[in-house]
Amino acid sequence: MQVLERGCKKYHNIAKINEKLDNLYSASIFPRNYIRGEAQILGFAAEILDNEYAPDGTDILSGAVEMIGELLLNPLLDESGKAFNEGYVSSEKANLIDAIRAKINNKNSYAVFRCREEMCKDEAYGISETGKVEDVLPITPASLYEYYCDILSHSKIEIYYVGKCDERVLCDKLASLFATLYRGPVREVQTLVVRTVDSVKNIVEEQPVVQGKLCLGFRSGMTLRDKNFHVFAMLNEIYGGSVSSKLFKNVREKLSLCYYCYSIPESHKGVMIVTSGIENANREISEKEILAQLDSIRTGDISEEEMENARRSLENAYLEITDSAASVESWYFSRSLAGRSESPAEFAKRLASVTREEIITAARGVVLDTVYFMLGTAKTGDEEDE
Amino acid sequence: MNKTVLQEVRESEFLKEKYYYLKHHSGLDIYVFPKNLTTTYALFGTKYGSIDNKFSTQDGEIIEVPDGIAHFLEHKMFEDEEGIDTFARYAKTGASANAYTSRGMTAYLFSCTDNFSSSLEILLDSVTSPYFTPENVKKEQGIIGQEIGMYDDNPRNRLYYGLLSALYESHPVRIDICGTVSTIAKITDKILYHCYNTFYNLSNMALSVCGNVTPEEILAVADKVLKPQEPVEITRFYPKEKPTVFRKRAERRMQVAKPLFSIGIKDTDISKDAAERAKKGIIIRILNNMLYGKTSAFYNELYEQGLITPSFGYFNDISESYAFNMITGESPNPDEVYRRFVHYIDDLQKNGLDREAFDRCHRVELAEFVKIFDSTEEIANVLLSLAFAGVEIFEYADIINSITFEDVTRVFHSCYNPEYYAMSVIIPIDEQ
Repeated sequence: MQVLERGCKKYHNIAKINEKLDNLYSASIFPRNYIRGEAQILGFAAEILDNEYAPDGTDILSGAVEMIGELLLNPLLDESGKAFNEGYVSSEKANLIDAIRAKINNKNSYAVFRCREEMCKDEAYGISETGKVEDVLPITPASLYEYYCDILSHSKIEIYYVGKCDERVLCDKLASLFATLYRGPVREVQTLVVRTVDSVKNIVEEQPVVQGKLCLGFRSGMTLRDKNFHVFAMLNEIYGGSVSSKLFKNVREKLSLCYYCYSIPESHKGVMIVTSGIENANREISEKEILAQLDSIRTGDISEEEMENARRSLENAYLEITDSAASVESWYFSRSLAGRSESPAEFAKRLASVTREEIITAARGVVLDTVYFMLGTAKTGDEEDE
Repeated sequence: MNKTVLQEVRESEFLKEKYYYLKHHSGLDIYVFPKNLTTTYALFGTKYGSIDNKFSTQDGEIIEVPDGIAHFLEHKMFEDEEGIDTFARYAKTGASANAYTSRGMTAYLFSCTDNFSSSLEILLDSVTSPYFTPENVKKEQGIIGQEIGMYDDNPRNRLYYGLLSALYESHPVRIDICGTVSTIAKITDKILYHCYNTFYNLSNMALSVCGNVTPEEILAVADKVLKPQEPVEITRFYPKEKPTVFRKRAERRMQVAKPLFSIGIKDTDISKDAAERAKKGIIIRILNNMLYGKTSAFYNELYEQGLITPSFGYFNDISESYAFNMITGESPNPDEVYRRFVHYIDDLQKNGLDREAFDRCHRVELAEFVKIFDSTEEIANVLLSLAFAGVEIFEYADIINSITFEDVTRVFHSCYNPEYYAMSVIIPIDEQ
């Protein structure tokens, strides 16, 4: 996507592309590359003003559709017509390798990334959206072009629009944009869901940082493909999903062990990761407390108040989705991957019927897989820069 | 009885939007922006941030407080006398609550899709009911100590404060918003009460709400919770900074993949007039886009030569007591980026800016402003920060429109001078 964003036949370089976008009242078009379960999602997204705000009558929407079409379908190729521009490929390879290596700059997210990588070492989910350095190195302008053609003809393509334009007009524009694209048989991507763990993996890594990072990777066993996924949403919320959760109330507020401690749910792979930043010396007590809080749910220590709080907090979060175009797109796209289509409000309604027993059962299905600890080896950092 | 001293409707023909400004009898300024979206967003803030560490009130005595206290106070406002934390109260309404402290303000907020009035009552009540004890201060020192540890390990944060402490010799803009472990250790319940009683006076605060609400609903809650207060007159003391930078360079070694750099431009020529300051801030933003945006020669040349990466960006800030501008990114050779930057600016100062680029970036600035009005969260945030900055939100659009190529050229020549530049770098720990 980075190579496509560098330039296309009509707009050769970053400056030309962005001059055009600026003139569309600061439209922004950005490449997308992310993971849902074991599917990698590639594409372009555009954020634009509605046509009615253009004082000079510029047709912003048509301009944005045209630009996405050019970037996606008419890339800049070399003379052979079968390989991308060599300069763009080599510089974006370097940028991608930089980005992979720079994951370590942010220790909070790096710890989560490492936990996930170790936990799913033998599964596709263990590879992140940026891939590995050793896989980037052999890429050539021709091999990348071949891959690009393969995706365009065999991957599932979905288009989302959130806004208030006339949908027939937009559909006509899009239909003519893709009219000449060759499409072969479409590949389905399956995500492997692991529900059992033989033995818990323990990983400790030293880093020259002050704060230790503790991540616990669990197999939740439930995904959006399960009818009862809303039960898992409730479980996660009660356990570590909000500031009223057991993790926040106990690990942070009661024991004062950390600034942050929360659980990150995942809805396609059936994975949940608890993450926290702590003093190195508090590793054991923190791990014990994080697990004890999950155990308390398994043994039924869930008050009526906690149930209600979690339900209200989730309902609020789901209902807020409709106010943001990006959240609406993300919601329906995620549903579509799992073969569902309900609205945030419909999903929110289902929470009311969740019982304590269902949550206890769901919590018993959650198994610990990997404990990752980043051991900080630096002293505190009060000193001034040189 | 009507407890509102003043009610004004402000409208913008261009944006097809309107909002209400209310002066409540308690002394509080209230901004209500009706917007027909699902989410309602409310923000209750005080003009009090990390830079307000030396001040006096009408009583006269000048007080100096430990670094990081405004942020500490923000944390401590989430607990009441019965030990019930504010999050637990919000849990009953379903609202999503949070707070943040910046250099110039502290804000408490919630967003909700239902039960708006009960959530607003919690917001107003919790922020006006302080409860500090030696025990709960001590507990918070543990939590914030870990928050500081987290930021200390963050290279971008270190890079940023490295730059500010090179640009400024003594202005508190150079200190971390959270303070340090040793400064927050000096905080006591008594100092917290003193700061609270000074800065959390309603005359130093404002409430902004955006969403599917009416002024009447909000006034009903304000009338119930807020008691009239004697206004407080606060004088803030900031050290005078010379126009030139304190140090040319700040350097630190950390666990990063590639060197990080920030080049800062210090600006001490700050107008006393709020509209003038806002105008200068906008001019710098337009100028930044012209000079370093994705259409600029600087960005494209350095990107193509591998001297900067997609993480390159720029940022400026202007307030009553300090102003700076910066470009930042990753580079295999920060010193070469600096050399090219100085050369690029010098060249443009001799040969002049591009008028066409100005027209385009001017248009972008206006479009970016219009985009704010899509989100209740953004509207409420911008209303509050502009209220504290002393600028009316719809006038802000007029200021953007009024800016000319000549304004931009004038600021370009006055702000850019090599004596105002400093650079901060983070070097990989194992690099020679």
